[in-house]
Amino acid sequence: MQQLNQLILDENGVAFHPMMGNSYEVNTTGRYIIEALKKNQSNDEIIVELSKRYKISTQELYIDVYDFISKLKMYGLA
Amino acid sequence: MQKIAISGLNASDNPASGVAVAKSLKDEFEIIGLSYNPNESGNYLDCISKSYLMPYPSLGIDALLLRLKEIQRKEKIVMIIPCLDAELPLYIKYQESITNLGIKLVLPNEKNFELRNKNRLHLLSKKLDIRYPKTEAFFEMQKLEEIEKHFTYPIMIKGNYYNAYKSYNQTSSHEYAKKICNEWGFPLLVQEVIYGDELNLVGLGDGKGNLIGAVSIKKLTTTELGKVWTAVSIEHNGLLEVAKKFVAETLWRGAFELECMVNKEKMYLIEINPRFPSWVYFATALDINMPKQLVEMANGKEVTPQLNYQTGKMYIRFTDELITDFSDFSTLMMKKEL
Repeated sequence: MQQLNQLILDENGVAFHPMMGNSYEVNTTGRYIIEALKKNQSNDEIIVELSKRYKISTQELYIDVYDFISKLKMYGLA
Repeated sequence: MQKIAISGLNASDNPASGVAVAKSLKDEFEIIGLSYNPNESGNYLDCISKSYLMPYPSLGIDALLLRLKEIQRKEKIVMIIPCLDAELPLYIKYQESITNLGIKLVLPNEKNFELRNKNRLHLLSKKLDIRYPKTEAFFEMQKLEEIEKHFTYPIMIKGNYYNAYKSYNQTSSHEYAKKICNEWGFPLLVQEVIYGDELNLVGLGDGKGNLIGAVSIKKLTTTELGKVWTAVSIEHNGLLEVAKKFVAETLWRGAFELECMVNKEKMYLIEINPRFPSWVYFATALDINMPKQLVEMANGKEVTPQLNYQTGKMYIRFTDELITDFSDFSTLMMKKEL
């Protein structure tokens, strides 16, 4: 989480890590998840909110959100 | 305007730091170039008001002092900032003789300089609490085969001062070792390859254990020789801590560059260069003008530490062209000054 909190999201959909100098391209959903995680929202809260926003079942979103979070972990960000 | 002399005027695809240092100082000082070759592009740039050809460091201190006396008679330079690895041992060893000519230097002493020598870096890295890749030095070519057995490929074949090649087999190892040895001699080093992000820091030590300037970057793209082409400014606390420990441990006086590899939480020290890197103007553009701080130190001024700068700034190197008269080249070659 410490690494995730450092991510700076710019208006072009790029997340910049000022400690490592790495940058990551994220879409609007990815951006939403990162911002929500930075606000300490739980994974379930994020799934429910995205379900309302995009009218997709929580079951379907569960896989996508956890997949995204596992990618954040893979990059050492979460 | 005070006159500051600077070496390392080569600004090719493998640039020295002289031109970057000159750019950092040109608004407040007159820059005198100390060149080893009329082909060095810095000789012809506007930021350098006059250039002198110098004897190669291999000719020793007598040749250097003789040349500096001649230059000093004409120019009354206040300070020299040596920017090349190969000339530093001479400038460091004979600091007193050079300062007796009325020329100031801000350099580490011989003992501290040796501590960051590549073949002793494993000892220093322990004190700095940073990992160091498995490395073995050799002083004769016959030993290479034996040492290679202690490693798995790929390995790095490195010179003690310059050059490093990644080798994937015994044949190329020998080829690279001979290539480096022919140019720079022994010792040579075999080093394990570390994968990860290359992070670099340019810093300035005050000789009393304090870090008075520092900027860190991540190289985004490099040339085939591994020289930075684009980079981004970063703030890496671990790297900054290593820099602080380095100047505190060695009482380092002057400029240095830390080269590190970071693989997740693991950080490895690769090299400590005892001079400004060629990208030092990036730090100047971020409002940490270390060449200017260095001159202030030499002038006995109290230098305020500057460690805060903007991250996420981009450094972009590009090629440029300059047209001049051939007579400039021939004048420098024949008269040894331009």
